[in-house]
Amino acid sequence: MRRKTRQRLSHIILVVILTVIALLYIYPVALMFMNSVKPFGEVIATPVSLPKKPTFGNYLYVGEKIQYFRLLWNNVMITVIGIIGIVFFSSLAAYICDRRRTKYTKFIYTLLITPMLIPFQTIMITLLKAMNIIHLNNSRVGLGIQYWGFGIPMATFIFYNFMATIPRDLDEAATVDGATTWQTYRMVIFPLLKSVTVTVIVLDVMWIWNDFLLPLLMVNSNNKTKTLVLAAYTFVGQMNTQWQYAMVGMVMAVFPSILVFIFLQKYIVEGVVAGAVKG
Amino acid sequence: MKRSSMKKKKGLENVLFTIPAVILVCMVMYIPFVMSGYYSLTRWNGIAKQPVFIGLENFKTILSGSDSFLSAMWFTIRYTFFFVIVSNVAALALAVALTKRFRLANLYRGLFFIPYIMSMTIVGFIWKFIFTSGFKKFFEVTGWGFWNLSWLGNPSMAFWSVTIVGIWQSLGFYIVLYIAGLQAVPKDIIEAAYVDGASRRQTFFKVTVPLLGPSMTTCVFMSLTNGLKVFDIILALTKGGPGQSTYSATLSIYNEAFTRNNYGLGSAQAILYFVFVLVITQLTLKMMSRKEVAL
Repeated sequence: MRRKTRQRLSHIILVVILTVIALLYIYPVALMFMNSVKPFGEVIATPVSLPKKPTFGNYLYVGEKIQYFRLLWNNVMITVIGIIGIVFFSSLAAYICDRRRTKYTKFIYTLLITPMLIPFQTIMITLLKAMNIIHLNNSRVGLGIQYWGFGIPMATFIFYNFMATIPRDLDEAATVDGATTWQTYRMVIFPLLKSVTVTVIVLDVMWIWNDFLLPLLMVNSNNKTKTLVLAAYTFVGQMNTQWQYAMVGMVMAVFPSILVFIFLQKYIVEGVVAGAVKG
Repeated sequence: MKRSSMKKKKGLENVLFTIPAVILVCMVMYIPFVMSGYYSLTRWNGIAKQPVFIGLENFKTILSGSDSFLSAMWFTIRYTFFFVIVSNVAALALAVALTKRFRLANLYRGLFFIPYIMSMTIVGFIWKFIFTSGFKKFFEVTGWGFWNLSWLGNPSMAFWSVTIVGIWQSLGFYIVLYIAGLQAVPKDIIEAAYVDGASRRQTFFKVTVPLLGPSMTTCVFMSLTNGLKVFDIILALTKGGPGQSTYSATLSIYNEAFTRNNYGLGSAQAILYFVFVLVITQLTLKMMSRKEVAL
């Protein structure tokens, strides 16, 4: 009996401590939201407390100034182009490499996944030059296409490992029924890859949406092609005394991700775990 | 006859279906990689038509310490060391607490994960505001000298500030991985340890932790590669300062090429960085997998 009460007590203490840690942990994020709805004087005078009277005027000003919806559109466009290509080319290559074990496919598989070992910073200088030559820089579509190349190694690796769990009987049956290789991929294999496709999408959306260095090199020179994070980076740099506007810029940059996370928390966490364990 | 044409067709398909991926990967990874290898042996300012071949001159410059790369590398090593240790210890501790049953557990897991889904540049800016305006206010209110330290202005403090922010941003990711690992530890083994008279602490360190091997390998490996790559946070928070005290290897490569227009020297740094990252990650992976316990 006494042991039970003691256990209960330690459980309550643990929960209380954890609550304090969690609140402190999220405080910097809350601080950003709080200061984004304060007028200038209040940010300076009371930077760490709740706003006295929230105003959303800052949002109107900044939204117009950085042309928020265009930035949002740029981000969506680059991310969607990137994801579609990565999923399509990787799953197709993984399918062939797993089902047709020849010297050629073995070599191709190694060739495709080895770049996981090359850090981006090693190639960024010459990448810019190479992309200049084939005119893939300074363009949103061009940037999306570059993400195909950068995303394929890991996605192929994840798809390939999952392919091994799909029974060969399924696609062999399709072949016997007269399906071509392409039809087998499209009607049988790709639908069965659904769960692992979700993993790949989650990982790559989180990466592409928030990526900084590659967009900085490729699409930063023109306001029309800038991404959300790039615009926020420039904007905050210009507003380093006007923190109330800087805060709005920051909120606007991270809010879409937070919103999506709140609704899809389960899938995102599962995807991240699955990707890390397989990757 | 029919058989060989079938074989030919299959071979053709193999090429057709894999070639787009191969071309794309070559285009953004292999070709620039080979180019980096070549440029590292040249002097080139990006404007002149032809880079000048100078052999291993760039590597001599770097290894003799006459540019900033070696000190940047040293910063990166120290940063990564603390980043890996603190991230993993803190994430494991919080994961253990968060796998206990209580009503808000799911909400808290979500809270810890939020910084991870935010852009690192923005995270750097938020903390810049906190280290300057926020801490000043805390000092006014509490009067504790702790808040009044020069968090970003003093070289040794700036190191810790950057490290803390880096850990804060990604801790949620490692927590989630450790939670998944903890949930995969079979309950009956834990029960058996209790029945055999092991204390809670003994059970945790002697049974649970060894069984967490695969999760730990993943987390250590991921935190290692992420630590070595640190860039965005530093750019937003300190730009490498004060006095290059938070100047990372990646920042050094970036600035050498794009600010100072020394493309050759930058490429040489990039190649050395690649070799270093490859050696460290492979060694760690070997060491970790040898220590894993199979169930």
